[in-house]
Amino acid sequence: MSYEVRTPITQAMNEGAITRKELKQLMTRCNKPAFIRLFLWVCTLSFSSYLIWLSFNTWLLIPCMFLQGVILVHHFSLQHECCHYTAFKTRKLNDICGHICGFSIMLPNQHFRYEHCDHHTYTQLKGKDPELIELPISVYKYLWYISAFPYWKNKFSEIFRHLKGQLSEEEVRFIPKQEKRTIFNEARIMVALYILILGACIFYNFWSPLWYWWLPVIIGEPVMRAIRLTEHVGRPNTDDLKENTRSSLVSLPMRFLCWNMNYHAEHHYASSIPFHALPKLHKKLKRFLYIEKRGYFGAHIDIISQLIGKTPRNDRP
Amino acid sequence: MRQRAWQDLIELNKIEEGDVTKVTFGTKDLAIYDAKAGIFVSMSRCTHGAANLCDGYFDGTYIECPLHQGLFDVRTGEAKAVPARVALKMIECRVEDGIIQIYI
Repeated sequence: MSYEVRTPITQAMNEGAITRKELKQLMTRCNKPAFIRLFLWVCTLSFSSYLIWLSFNTWLLIPCMFLQGVILVHHFSLQHECCHYTAFKTRKLNDICGHICGFSIMLPNQHFRYEHCDHHTYTQLKGKDPELIELPISVYKYLWYISAFPYWKNKFSEIFRHLKGQLSEEEVRFIPKQEKRTIFNEARIMVALYILILGACIFYNFWSPLWYWWLPVIIGEPVMRAIRLTEHVGRPNTDDLKENTRSSLVSLPMRFLCWNMNYHAEHHYASSIPFHALPKLHKKLKRFLYIEKRGYFGAHIDIISQLIGKTPRNDRP
Repeated sequence: MRQRAWQDLIELNKIEEGDVTKVTFGTKDLAIYDAKAGIFVSMSRCTHGAANLCDGYFDGTYIECPLHQGLFDVRTGEAKAVPARVALKMIECRVEDGIIQIYI
């Protein structure tokens, strides 16, 4: 064939970082690790919901909703794993779980899947990577991004666009023509269900979804924005995986919440490897990748240092 | 025009057991699958985004594209999941005296 598309795995194998045999072993898919984690997940969510229930009519309600929100916004991490078809053994289970997670955080699953695939194809390349978060031009813009206001604005305009049966120029590039209808219908079903739930809340004067779901997600989203900043922001805009992605070494509770996606550079090297095998992949690849040993906190120090001019900006050629 | 004929590709014991192996034949990138149903050979590039399928996940029957998770049945080349829509080009193959041959 005359054309060459270099996949990250090809890069890893060409550099001798990993063999096909090792890769095959790590790529093995099974349900058990995801079901165990899901069970713990439900327990954690039940506990945080119980805390909200206990804290009604006290000042502790907001911190409890924030805690619940931090857990809920991490449904993104499971959805992300499902969109790579690596959380569970079968595609069907991954699709079902991905749709449920996406519904809980207003992130339509198929749309996210196509967008995310292009993110893997064009990681950190300006004008090509649809998930690219540019290094902010100031600390104010950095804080504005973390506030999640721009995120929600973007998500609402995206979903309304799809309701109307329209795609943006960028979406036309990464959504296959034959899949347009799926994307529009997905948005319509999602909005219809939200309206149905809201209608039921009003009709029955039952506001649990607001206190246990919607408000916590809104309060918790800045945490997810801050975490997502650590993945690529402040890394160079190049197609070299050794440079363009940052892995952060974080504590066990955070690894639990993010389904090991702190090993982000490892994930980009081989996105077919399930979350539970990423720590093993990290051991094999750590000398090839950019690792932030100070965790998410260290990644933000790195980003802010570039914003205030303490270190050179990595987005400049 | 050259007549099609059976040609040696690779020794059977040199391919990845139960997995997919990348082979170049002339100017062609090929994928050899040691599938549950036997040995199969196809062009190695995904018909959607042209990524090399030999870097993807192979479960013994289906090969998954490493870039966009399109899925192909390696026995027939049929595209089984979007964004892959066009079937993989399969190449007739056989094993003779421990050597995988293709009819090309």
